[in-house]
Amino acid sequence: MSISEKTSLAQEPALVVDDVVKRFGRGTEIVTAVDHVSFTVRQGEFVSVIGPSGCGKSTLFNIIGGLLSDYEGAVKIGEERISAPHPAVGMVFQEESTFPWRTVIDNVAFPLELQGVAKSERMDRAHHFIDMVGLASFEKAFPSQLSGGMKQRVSIARILVSQPKILLMDEPFAALDEQTRLLLGDKITQIQQELNQTTLLITHNLTEAVQLSDRIVVMTYRPGQVKRIVDINLPRPRTSDVVGSDAFGHYVAEIWNDLREEASRGMADSESAASRRATHG
Amino acid sequence: MAAAGSLTSSSIPATPRNVLALRLAVAVFVLCVWEGLSRSGLFYGEVVPSLLAIFVSMGKLLIDPIFWRNLQVTMVETVASLAIGAGFGITVGIVLGANRFLMRAFEPVVYYLSPTPRIILFPVMIMWFGVGPGSKIALGALSAFFAIALSTAAGMRQIDPILIRVGRSFRANIWQMAFKIYLPAMRVPILNGIRLGMGTAIITVLLGETKLSNQGLGYMIMQIYTRFDMPGLYALLILVFVIAGGVNALIGHFACD
Repeated sequence: MSISEKTSLAQEPALVVDDVVKRFGRGTEIVTAVDHVSFTVRQGEFVSVIGPSGCGKSTLFNIIGGLLSDYEGAVKIGEERISAPHPAVGMVFQEESTFPWRTVIDNVAFPLELQGVAKSERMDRAHHFIDMVGLASFEKAFPSQLSGGMKQRVSIARILVSQPKILLMDEPFAALDEQTRLLLGDKITQIQQELNQTTLLITHNLTEAVQLSDRIVVMTYRPGQVKRIVDINLPRPRTSDVVGSDAFGHYVAEIWNDLREEASRGMADSESAASRRATHG
Repeated sequence: MAAAGSLTSSSIPATPRNVLALRLAVAVFVLCVWEGLSRSGLFYGEVVPSLLAIFVSMGKLLIDPIFWRNLQVTMVETVASLAIGAGFGITVGIVLGANRFLMRAFEPVVYYLSPTPRIILFPVMIMWFGVGPGSKIALGALSAFFAIALSTAAGMRQIDPILIRVGRSFRANIWQMAFKIYLPAMRVPILNGIRLGMGTAIITVLLGETKLSNQGLGYMIMQIYTRFDMPGLYALLILVFVIAGGVNALIGHFACD
């Protein structure tokens, strides 16, 4: 951390991940999913964590979200170590997670309902964020009537309405096609800039990470360690047009260079596991 | 793909109109056969009464206050046994569905006891709760309980785990989890359990009434039978089937929107 960062209050980190370790299993079967991982996310910053499958990304997501409380090291918001879901953290899951029995507006108002906010205020605030994700004409629709991308926008509006300090997303666009993904990326960038929303995105998608981020944390394949942290100095405000620029291509190539080695180790591992199953099975 | 010999091949498209036509045709055929047998004189006395006689008896039943009083008794018994059976069944189902240890211990017991004939407990119920509605309600509740408990436990385990993670991530308390996530997510399996439970409750209540009682539709069936009023008996049976089927259809309608 430089001297200027230390003195500036605005640069106080919103989230500190400090030497986090998570092991699964016992005895000789121990797998280290997350291995001494440290990084920070500053206020208003968009950070992505990228790595191949099996680098402990989802474990990290669950730890930061407070859904996995049994870990070593510390994930801190201010002075508080996270060991249960924290009100400052809003989670968007990879899986489709809208409530099928609620309309769009009732889905989005859900967190306010839990907080006991009065109905008219609830509806006003939900309406505002539904409008922001561009679903104003679908407020009374049920999730079954919406496309996959629209459902993820409902989930995002549902998180934003609870006004989390930190938006934490786990591959929210993984199930969507590439075009929808780029366009939703635009929406996310726009919202993030409008709200100055501190965001941490977990992803395995390289273009998505470069398109959206200020910084990218590159993870190694098992055990999941931080390989490198890359600053993305692409101009803001940013749109998906940036995908065509030389600088964008340069970043993608640079990070792919780091990722390729990790991804091929992951692939070799899963292939040897498959051949063991095939010969013994 | 109209392969000859295929079990599923059919040259008639299953449009709603064709389905209705087939149903009507079968109904008319059955009624014609019935009326034919009735007029043939092949059976003693009135074992197969004419459709007209049954129809007239049904009219008499529908204006008979005794029928309505017995119907009311049976309805009250069924609803009471369903309410009691659902109360215990949903509670036990949630506990079994939520707790792996208790599930291992008790679900096989519930599962294997479920199809056993509860009617053999009838004498016990009569001793405990008397000849009146009490013994029928107790037996009906017992039979409804199993279907509802098993269906609720299965529904509990089928909840998409992501919805529970969402609830936890929003820090919902235990009551909010129960009433805003678990119960709405289990609405369909619970209503299906209630529908099955209702079916067995009606059966059990009527069975109990035909065995030993002093009121109710089952009792009335046996009364008409001892008088050997065959048109009246058939008329009453048809009414009971229509009522039971109608109630099932009503609950089924709620179960799948």
